[in-house]
Amino acid sequence: MSDDIVFLAEFADGQAARSALELAAGAAELAGQSGGAPVALAYGAGARAGAAALGAAGAARVIVLGDDPAPAITFAARAAAAVQQAEPLGLLAPATPNGRDLAAALVGLLELPAFGPVRTARVEGGALRTEQATLQGTVITVSQPADGAPRPAVILVLANTFTPSDGGSGEAEVADAPAADAGAFGKAKVVESHPAEAAVTNLEEATVIVAGGRGVGSEEGFGPLHDLAAALGGAVGASRAAADAGWVPYQLQIGQTGKVVKPALYLSAGISGAIQHRVGMQSAEHVVAINKDPDAPIGEFADLFVVGDLFAIVPKLTEEIKRRKGT
Amino acid sequence: MKIVVCIKQVPATTAEKRYTADFRLDRAAAESVINPLDEYAIEQALRLVESGAVETVAYLSMGPEQAGEALRRALAMGGDEAYLVTDGALAGADEWATAKVLAAALDKLAPDVALMGMASDDARGSLVPGAVAALRGMPLLSYGSELTIHDGNARIRRLTATGYDLIEAPLPVVASVTDQVGEPRYASLKGIMAARKKPLETWALDDLGLSAGSLRGAALTQVVEAKPPEAKPPTERIENVSADEAAAKVADWLAARKLI
Ligand SMILES: Cc1cc2nc3c(=O)[nH]c(=O)nc-3n(C[C@H](O)[C@H](O)[C@H](O)COP(=O)(O)OP(=O)(O)OC[C@H]3O[C@@H](n4cnc5c(N)ncnc54)[C@H](O)[C@@H]3O)c2cc1C
Ligand SMILES: Nc1ncnc2c1ncn2[C@@H]1O[C@H](COP(=O)(O)O)[C@@H](O)[C@H]1O
Repeated sequence: MSDDIVFLAEFADGQAARSALELAAGAAELAGQSGGAPVALAYGAGARAGAAALGAAGAARVIVLGDDPAPAITFAARAAAAVQQAEPLGLLAPATPNGRDLAAALVGLLELPAFGPVRTARVEGGALRTEQATLQGTVITVSQPADGAPRPAVILVLANTFTPSDGGSGEAEVADAPAADAGAFGKAKVVESHPAEAAVTNLEEATVIVAGGRGVGSEEGFGPLHDLAAALGGAVGASRAAADAGWVPYQLQIGQTGKVVKPALYLSAGISGAIQHRVGMQSAEHVVAINKDPDAPIGEFADLFVVGDLFAIVPKLTEEIKRRKGT
Repeated sequence: MKIVVCIKQVPATTAEKRYTADFRLDRAAAESVINPLDEYAIEQALRLVESGAVETVAYLSMGPEQAGEALRRALAMGGDEAYLVTDGALAGADEWATAKVLAAALDKLAPDVALMGMASDDARGSLVPGAVAALRGMPLLSYGSELTIHDGNARIRRLTATGYDLIEAPLPVVASVTDQVGEPRYASLKGIMAARKKPLETWALDDLGLSAGSLRGAALTQVVEAKPPEAKPPTERIENVSADEAAAKVADWLAARKLI
């Protein structure tokens, strides 16, 4: 048994994902509280070459699970082999589809307690504690592993919970995970890959999001929102209604079945604020909503609620911001 | 070809929720529904029947006795039979215990595809599908925006950072689908009538070769506190002004918070 905090570090296209850098900072913070070391489990394209560099993000050691671009869950058996012996206190996984797949496989393979998705985790008196918003955010539950539960406790962590740092020791010690057959998980193969023609932003990384909904009316209607996002230095997001209509790609959907975001500013136009949308954006630091319906639900939880026509207000706001910025 | 769709009964999204003294959701107090995301899994299974790829659809749920209502509602949408695992020892089950029980029940039912929703409304971990696949030693095809079956293989379309992948695995598999598979159908009156005559079997832990002891109190996790979320400051409103004035006021508000 150890007081180490292990984290899943995903690589893609030769680079550590933003989630890997955030979780490195998180693992370093929790390991500081537990008296253990932050240890990365690195996987995906570029993981071996980039492993040592995770030291700068906070990792003391990196265990490489593999560096082929296979589905994340393919690395589950090696991840299990890597943590089985060490029995670290906790394992942080990004609350992304890939991170959840790998975390879920570990919960099944090693029969582990699981928590999350969370925005708060800490070690208190040697025990891991998490805070999770449950039931559409109506309640916060504080949880910990049951007495005598196997280790590690698996914790799903939402994007933007921890802030990447470059205060680590520099180079991390790198080792390969013990060999293990991928088993049945290895039988799922990518048979076709279709990247998008146009670039799609990762909303989880955006500090400003301008989100549009059904009220935007069409793909062209998103034009003024793109202009506003550009003026603010941000990205465009959407409700499911707008993604379902095909006005924006699904990668830009915010909510229960889309991205869960935490920007400094979330500004919506033509979004009513359904509960399934709200759970994806309620952690934003500042929420501004433009809606022509004075009784729209989003008016109850926005910080600033503007009642009016988005087509009249959004272009004027873009002009005003450009003028003040002197651009 | 047989699909078993795993469905969970959850409190309705808009229902008033209450907690028991030991921080469990008071399931008797809330109006209950089929987990909305599981309706998409049901829809996907029924579409596979209509396309001729699948012959039998069964439903499986673990929960209190009243979860039988969710299974009846699923049967009213379509499908053939349902199974409810209910046992006093399962109250407060966490994702691990849920996966253990569903895996044992699925081993007994031996479907070609065990199909799940992408997440449950109340737990929201999206962990049960992967944990069940691990416990059963089967491939996982998760987060499908579409599921197809041909030549002994199951295939999903899954979103990637910018586009999508097609991922395939030989049957039998554990799979989960998202709300992009297509809007779930409503139960017709005829469907509701027919559902009453469809078989619904109830199993206890014994029937699955499991015991309360092997499930360690049904949870490896423990809730130690439940509290309301932090109260939000009141909303400021801008209304009954011209678009020019609204734009200027919003810009002032943003500037005051150093957002521009
Ligand atoms: C299982 C499940 C999962 C879901 N997951 C998600 C999710 O992840 N994300 C998500 O967003 N939704 C999700 N939904 C859907 C959600 O319930 C709502 O249907 C959806 O969010 C509504 O989108 P909207 O606000 O754009 O549209 P609407 O609710 O139709 O609202 C449009 C708003 O635009 C306003 N408007 C119209 N014209 C103008 C104008 N000219 N100027 C200003 N305002 C205008 C209207 O007053 C209205 O308030 C999910 C639903 C289910 C059942
Ligand atoms: N108690 C349960 N009974 C049947 N299926 C369940 C149960 N809990 C979870 N599932 C299935 O697992 C999926 C993911 O749930 P979760 O891991 O809790 O987010 C759900 O959409 C269901 O298909």
